[in-house]
Amino acid sequence: MKASFVSAARWLVFLAAALVLNFPVLSTLITSLKSDAEIVSNASLWVERPTLANYSHVFAMADRFDFMRFIENSVIESGLGAAFSIGLALPAAYAIVRFRVGESWLLPTVANLRAIPLIVFSIPIYLMYQQAHLLDTRFGLALILCLVNLPLVLVLLANATQDLPIELDEAARIDGASTWAVVLLIVLPLLRPIVAASAVLAFIYSWNEFLFGLMLTTSVAVPVTVGASFFFSASGGGVQWGVAAAVMILSVAPPLLLGLAAYRHIGRSMTAGAIKG
Amino acid sequence: MQFTARRDGYVLIAPVTIFLLAMLAIPFLVDLLYSVSRVTFETLRSPSYLGPANFLSVIRDHAFWGAMLFSLRFALLTTIAQVAIGISLAVFLAPLLSKRPWLMAVLMLPMMAAPALVGLMYRLILHEFVGVLPYYFYLFFNDSPSFLGPRNAFWTLVAVETLQWSPFGLLILYSSYQSVPLEIRESAAIDGAGPWRRLIAIELPWMQPTILLVTFIRFIDSFRVFDNVYTLSGPGAGGDTTTMSIYIYEAFFHGDDIGVAVAASLILLLLSFVVLAGLLRLSRRRS
Repeated sequence: MKASFVSAARWLVFLAAALVLNFPVLSTLITSLKSDAEIVSNASLWVERPTLANYSHVFAMADRFDFMRFIENSVIESGLGAAFSIGLALPAAYAIVRFRVGESWLLPTVANLRAIPLIVFSIPIYLMYQQAHLLDTRFGLALILCLVNLPLVLVLLANATQDLPIELDEAARIDGASTWAVVLLIVLPLLRPIVAASAVLAFIYSWNEFLFGLMLTTSVAVPVTVGASFFFSASGGGVQWGVAAAVMILSVAPPLLLGLAAYRHIGRSMTAGAIKG
Repeated sequence: MQFTARRDGYVLIAPVTIFLLAMLAIPFLVDLLYSVSRVTFETLRSPSYLGPANFLSVIRDHAFWGAMLFSLRFALLTTIAQVAIGISLAVFLAPLLSKRPWLMAVLMLPMMAAPALVGLMYRLILHEFVGVLPYYFYLFFNDSPSFLGPRNAFWTLVAVETLQWSPFGLLILYSSYQSVPLEIRESAAIDGAGPWRRLIAIELPWMQPTILLVTFIRFIDSFRVFDNVYTLSGPGAGGDTTTMSIYIYEAFFHGDDIGVAVAASLILLLLSFVVLAGLLRLSRRRS
């Protein structure tokens, strides 16, 4: 009797925590299903007449607010940001673990980068980008996203490389394979699960980045986090709340769905990256 | 062979090293140079030497200390709240989560949402006419506080940050809680220690290094907060909600003196080195 009471209490706490923690997204989702008239007359969590009109509206005003463009920018920039960080970190992780090159300075520098507020470097980066014509370009923002993700990705890949049996790459090297061939043909395939988990995490964190998107892009390369905030300023005094809610749900959905779908594979990396990073 | 291996090693780390030099080392040198110069957008290539004046004007700026105090209080309160919620949920829900690991996916979902977007969502949720929270406050209490008004903005932001990042503490503290060896738990139970006694005498001490680590990470992240505060209340909607990061951002984009903005950011860098040194000492003691 007592055991089942405690177990019920645990479920209750779980449900309450799940609802409270996810409240912003849930509540916005509900608002996005209301018509403008209903939003004004009924602010409760109950929808009287669910409608998808707000969602079709989001895509029907491309002349004022090109939402597809923001999504496309975010997909490309986050994808490139994740790819760059893995491309830079994988060879470095191998060198650090197998050759002990940079073990004493490169790994700690990058790992501790997580504790440095990158806004400190943002002003010179802005001015450099201005000179190099990288302002408001997808490539420019992707470089920053790579920098943001480098600590997590390098720590995860270095830990995973550490766990690989050394015999495999030694055998390949005795057979005459070059170091690059070993990294690309032996290490990369063996590390595929952790490379995939790092890529998913890097993509999600890139998608969610805001500060550099705000500083370094203005129109062509604007990512969706910044674009969504434009919606509030673009619509002047009267914000269309239903459409705004739909914009926010569409902007937040990709990383949420990706995170849920990949949770089994990234959960442990999130913990490990945070603890060792 | 050994020589080639080392040379290959340097080739492998060359790309990331060059990248870091370009994205961090050069900006840092520019920071140093500009912080002691008079420089505006027009004179980027010809800064004139000024000495410590930029640092002095930062230190004399009330807004700077206001932002510092805001970020400190914000980081302290949110960190304590996040760690407390994280520990409580981790310990209380552990029996549930260990049998059904996928439940954790639901709880860590808030971490996957962009803080900037969450900030925007709260603009809607807290809106006095169409927001859901004011609606229920009116329904149950006949009155609703002005959540983003001068008196409440700080606490609203603390709640927003805490709710979004408590899952981080939960996730990491839960895995630490699970790593308490079964033998220790069992022998304590055999010795007659009840659940509370075991928690206080055995499990929490076991988790202590992880608790400290989570505290540090969350403190650092909350101290430099920008996204959700910026999108929800900006530099101050009624109440003054300028964080350290927002102060630097505003000084750069809306002030006319780049040198002052850069000097402020270098002071922030110095502070983060102090915190980092603490973190490193901590991790050295652990290993």
